[in-house]
Amino acid sequence: MFDPKLARVSQVAAMAIAALAGWGALSSPAAADDVIRFGAPLPLTGPLAPEGIKQQQGYDIWAEQANKAGGISVGGKKYKVEIVYADYQSNTPRAVQTTEQMITQDNVNFLFGPFGSGAAKAASTVSEKYRVPTIAATASSSQVYDQGYKYLFGTFTPNDTLTTPLTQIIKSKAPDVKKVAILARNDLFPLAIAQEMEKSAKANGFEVVYFEKYAIGTLDHSATLSQIKSLAPQWIFVTGYTNDLLLIRKQMVDQQMKAPVVTMIAGPAYQDFIEPAGASAENLTSASWWHPAEEYAGKDIFGSTSHFVKLFRDKYKIDPDYGHASAALCGALFQIAIERAGSLDRDKVRDELAKLDIVSFFGPVKFGPNGQINSLDPPVFQIQGAKPVVLFPQAIKQGELKLGVN
Amino acid sequence: MLVAQVLINALVLGCLYACIAIGFSLVWGVLNVINLIHGSFIVLGSYLAWGLYQSLKIPPWYALIVAAPLFFILGYLLQRLLLNRVISAPVLVTLTLTFGLDLILNNAMIYFFKADYRKLTLNPPIGSVSLFDVVVPVDRLIATASALALTGLLYLLLRRSRVGRAIVAVRLDRDAAVLMGVDVKSIYAIAFGLGAALAGCAGVLMALIFPISPLSSSTFLGKAFVVCVLGGLGSVSGALAGGLLLALVEGVGSATIGPSHATTLSFALLIVFLILRPQGLLGRKGFE
Repeated sequence: MFDPKLARVSQVAAMAIAALAGWGALSSPAAADDVIRFGAPLPLTGPLAPEGIKQQQGYDIWAEQANKAGGISVGGKKYKVEIVYADYQSNTPRAVQTTEQMITQDNVNFLFGPFGSGAAKAASTVSEKYRVPTIAATASSSQVYDQGYKYLFGTFTPNDTLTTPLTQIIKSKAPDVKKVAILARNDLFPLAIAQEMEKSAKANGFEVVYFEKYAIGTLDHSATLSQIKSLAPQWIFVTGYTNDLLLIRKQMVDQQMKAPVVTMIAGPAYQDFIEPAGASAENLTSASWWHPAEEYAGKDIFGSTSHFVKLFRDKYKIDPDYGHASAALCGALFQIAIERAGSLDRDKVRDELAKLDIVSFFGPVKFGPNGQINSLDPPVFQIQGAKPVVLFPQAIKQGELKLGVN
Repeated sequence: MLVAQVLINALVLGCLYACIAIGFSLVWGVLNVINLIHGSFIVLGSYLAWGLYQSLKIPPWYALIVAAPLFFILGYLLQRLLLNRVISAPVLVTLTLTFGLDLILNNAMIYFFKADYRKLTLNPPIGSVSLFDVVVPVDRLIATASALALTGLLYLLLRRSRVGRAIVAVRLDRDAAVLMGVDVKSIYAIAFGLGAALAGCAGVLMALIFPISPLSSSTFLGKAFVVCVLGGLGSVSGALAGGLLLALVEGVGSATIGPSHATTLSFALLIVFLILRPQGLLGRKGFE
């Protein structure tokens, strides 16, 4: 007998099976032939969003260039680049989860590290476990690379490569500067670089009269700044991210604090610090890992530094900073390593990364035994006339140190 | 001299904290709604001030005149159309609703304004005044004076006006207020509108002082929350007392045991208050 009810049930079941099969086909890697998937967990919302978005722009411009050239060639066959983004909302534990998800569910071939030293270190445990080669674009602190990991690489030199040249410049150009006050955001990178600064300062004969940390999310620095002012340091060194540094700079002006030298890391490298800070940014010194004024004839997809800067300006209508550039570099390095390996095998690509010794638009690239780059001379610069002017290294120097921050 | 400077800093900052918290306290006290969208309203107010200054050169103290009615209307409509539907549900429901609204507003701001930090920089700058060696920035003084004026206005409104008395009556005894002919739904909407207007005005004033970004909203909300717990719900003066206490603890804490422990100290104080004096310094039932 024909049972209409049964027929309806089987009809629904058939539809469900068809839908499941269709969905399975969509999400199975078989459909994603000829594509290399790169996982990029980023803080696209939350307090680190400005930095996360920079990294995304860097990856995007690389993917665009690579695909425009037909893709990455692996053993004579071209593969398109696909970047899989996930927002971990500036929440480090979630960055770790997201990284694992990308490996196990999104089937990415390779990984970019999340933003900053703290999250990159946390996520590296996962990528190491699954043996996925990972390049961290924005992790500089040596604690990230001291874990003995084989699959983690990073494009920022250790923090002391920023503070040592800076201290030496101040020592030679401003002999009257003796007392240094250091104020650091209590966060992995800002604190680590402040500690390096303390070491560099002491090694060069400066007296560190103040060293304190402020909590993440501090809304007011007036009490701290009043105290620093009462100690009359000639060099004020502050670390943090854009928001912190804008606020602290404003409150320094409010409290009429003046010093021959004021250094801020990492804000002044960013246009979104220089513009809102306006006149108060004048004569601030800083250091970063890359600067658009550099000129290297790279062997990577971007070629020369100026070509990268031009491509970036055309696409985003802003000047690239070191965050953008480092992210783009990570992609370019993966591309070189994959092409040299002639395979998507993770171990082969990892070995090629470890062997790299090339010049890129970012500068010479060679990773040390711990995976951290050790071939760069990070530039020291100063804001003069609302523009960053490079003071060091000598080869790309654009101007002289000016004293007096009011 | 350092002591005097730290105390003055704390006094000024305390008034700013009160300004951030007052609207939040009003809504919590009268409607029993923990309004999580408050921080985003403040940031939206900052963007309004920034936009008016960038495009029309209207300084923030005049922008207050624009912000107050705009935010009142926004808050009024939000309460009338959305919150009133769930107002009698348990507090978790309204909390979730305002949380959702906050996500929408905050992400809309990230979408439209980007997460970049903006700064309202007055040109020419208004600088700082100094008495002996104690320096006070003029923009903070203006914000403090405006905050005190707004607080005073709210106090008068609640004390003297018919609407204000109705708001207090609803808070004290909703059922009795209904029997006396008070239109509770519209009073709720007015109270929420006032809370939003105060948040918008606070945002306008904060634009003078802090960098502007959608990401600051949770910081503002956190401060408002702490101030309300310390000062106590249900009074205008409670917000002021809570703000001053918080700023004082943070300021003295930064100067003595270092800035990273100052936050710890203020949250330790919060816990002590929650255990020993949950009604806060000046809290009592009703909003007067």
